[in-house]
Amino acid sequence: MRPEQAIAATVLVGALVLQAARPQRRMLVVMIGAGLSALTTALAGLGTAADLLADVPWDVLVILAALGLLTQVFVASRLFGVLAATAARRSGADPRRLLALFAGVMFVVSGLANNLTALLLVLPVLLTLLKLLGVDRRYLAWTLGVLLVACNLGGAASPIGDFPAILLLGRGSMRFDAYLAAALPPTAVALVVIVGLTLLVVRPARGLPDDPVARRVSVAVMDALHREVRLDRRLFAWPAAALAVMLLAWVVAPRESGLTPELIAWLGVGAALAAVPALGERLIRTRVDVEAALFLLALFVMVAAVRRTGVFQDVATGLAALPMPPVAQLVVFLLMAGLLTGVFSAGPSMAALLDVAESLATRLPPHAVYVGLALSVCAGSSLFLTAATAGPMAQAITERAGLRDQDGAPLRFGFSEFLPVGLVSFAVIQATAIGWALLAVARG
Amino acid sequence: MTAGRLARLEQAFRVACGELGHCAAAWLFVREVAEALGDAGVEGLRDELGRSYPVLDAVARRWFEGHRAPHVQPEGVVAACAGAARVLVVGLEAAHLDALVPLLPPDVRLGLVRSGSLEADWERVLANFGGRVEGADLGDFQRWAGARSALLTFAYGVHDGQAHVSPAWVRVSGPDVRAQFRALIAWDVLRAPTYVHPRWLVAVPLEDFSHVVGP
Repeated sequence: MRPEQAIAATVLVGALVLQAARPQRRMLVVMIGAGLSALTTALAGLGTAADLLADVPWDVLVILAALGLLTQVFVASRLFGVLAATAARRSGADPRRLLALFAGVMFVVSGLANNLTALLLVLPVLLTLLKLLGVDRRYLAWTLGVLLVACNLGGAASPIGDFPAILLLGRGSMRFDAYLAAALPPTAVALVVIVGLTLLVVRPARGLPDDPVARRVSVAVMDALHREVRLDRRLFAWPAAALAVMLLAWVVAPRESGLTPELIAWLGVGAALAAVPALGERLIRTRVDVEAALFLLALFVMVAAVRRTGVFQDVATGLAALPMPPVAQLVVFLLMAGLLTGVFSAGPSMAALLDVAESLATRLPPHAVYVGLALSVCAGSSLFLTAATAGPMAQAITERAGLRDQDGAPLRFGFSEFLPVGLVSFAVIQATAIGWALLAVARG
Repeated sequence: MTAGRLARLEQAFRVACGELGHCAAAWLFVREVAEALGDAGVEGLRDELGRSYPVLDAVARRWFEGHRAPHVQPEGVVAACAGAARVLVVGLEAAHLDALVPLLPPDVRLGLVRSGSLEADWERVLANFGGRVEGADLGDFQRWAGARSALLTFAYGVHDGQAHVSPAWVRVSGPDVRAQFRALIAWDVLRAPTYVHPRWLVAVPLEDFSHVVGP
C-alpha cells in the first residue's frame, strides 16, 4: 500500500470509527476527517479540494433534501399522527396485532418518506398506547425493535426510502422501477419472516396478562386523545399528488432525456411547496436537514479521496483474486457489507462499498450486486441499536415517555434490549440478501 | 380488582388525565369499567384509585347517584366571556373545551396554557381543536392580557367560599395579573365536592374570580 493510500484510508476508517464511538461529536469528526482527506490528496498530487467536491454526488444530496422537505409537508398535514392513531385503534389494543400493524405501517411509510421523521411522529402514539396497556420490558424491546427493523426494510424496499437506495438511483446504478421490482419482494418477505418469528417463536406478548378491561380502556382513551385529530386534506393533497407524479416520472422518464431522478425530485417537491407557499417557504428556511447533508458531504469527500488513491480499486482487485468463483466472492462481499454497516452505519458503508460493488457488477448481473448490497446494508443497519440513526432517537423518545411496568419499575429500551432483535433481524435480512442475490445470479 | 390490573389502569389513567383532564378521564374510566365489570368494577376502581385521584372518586360517587355523563353546559361561560377578544384557558378539560370552543365567536382568539401536573403531548391536545386553539406558555401568558381578555380555568367543586383548581392557575393569577384581564372565570366541571384530600389541585378563594360558572 502506498503512503497516500494508507493515509487516506486511515483518515476514512479513523473518522468512521471515531464518529461511531463518539456519536455526540460525529459532525466535528467527519468534517475534520474530510478536511484531512482533502489535504492528503492535495499533498499527494491526486487532486485539490475542488476536485474532491466535484466528485461529490450532489444529485443524491438534492434528492435527500427534496424528499425530506416533502415529508415535512406530510407532517404538517398530520398524516403520520392520523396513521398511527388509526393503527392503534385497528389493533384493538391487542399486543400481537399492535406489533404487526405498526411494523406494516412503518414499512410502507419508510418506503415513501423520511423514516426518521415518520418515526418521530409515530413512536409517541405507539408509546402512549403501550403506556395505556401496561407492558413489560420484553414486549417493549421486541415491539420497538421490530418497528425499527421495519423502518430499515421499508427504506431498502424503495429507491427513495433511504440513503443506500437513493445513492444507487442517483448514480444511475439502477433505474427506479428496476430497483423497486427487485428490492420490494425480498424486503417484504424478510419483514414477514421477522414479524412471524417474533409472534410465533419469540412470543413477546406471552408475559402480558390478557386483560380485556385494560384493552377496552386503552382503546377508549386512544379514541378520546385523537377524537378530532384529522388529516388536513388540503395540505395532504399537494404533496401526495406531487409524489405520485414523481413516482411516475421516475419510472417512465428515460435518463437520457435529461429528466434525471434528482431533477424530478427538485421539480416535484418545488411544485408541492409552491402550492402551499407560506408553509413551503418556512419549511425551506427551517426544515432542510443540514446536519444530514453536511454529514454525507463530509463522507463523500473522504470516500472520493480514498477512491483517488486507488484503494477501492485494489480492494476490488483483491476480491476478484480470491480463489473462489465470482458468486462466492459476491457472498463474501455481501457479508462484509452487512458487518461493516453494523459497525459504521449505512451511509459510510454504502458510500465506501459502492465502488467495490461497481467492480463486481462488471462480472455479475448488476442488479444482483446492487440490490444484494442494499439489502446487506439494511441487515447491518438492523444489527445494533447504534447502527442506524433511528435507533438512538427511538431510545431517547422511549426514555422521555417514562414507561413503567406493572411493578412500577421504569422500562428501558437501549443497546442490550435491542440486541436479541438485532441478531435475529440481521440473520434473516442477511440471509435474504444473499439468497436473493444468488437467485438473481442464477437467473442471469 | 387484581393488583396487576390496578397498576395498568392507574398508568392509563394518568395518561388520560394529562391530555383529557381529570374530570374527562374519570368519566371515561368509570363508564368503560362499568360497561366491562358493572358497578362492582366502579366500586373497585374507586376504592383503589379514588384516594390518589379525588376527581375520580367524586365522579364514581356521582355515577352511583345515577349520573351517567359529565355536566357540560358552556352557555354560562360563553356569557361570562362576552366582549372578550381573547380567552386564555388555564388547565384542561377536554369534554368541556370541546363544547365551549364552537360556541365562542370565530374572531375570539383562544389560547391554552401548556402546563399540567402530568405529562401531555400538547401538539396532540391542540390538534383536536383544528387550529382554533393556540398553545401558550406560562412564561409569556401575559401577552394575552388586556382590557378585552378573559382568563378561564376549571374548578373541581365549589364550596365553603373556595374552588379547587389546577395548580397552574395559582401561577398565573397573582394580584398583579387580576387587573390585567377583563374577566377571571372559574367553570365548575365537577359540580360536587371532593370527598378525599384534593391531591393534584389547590384551593383558591372564590373572590379571585370575577365569574364562577356552574355551581
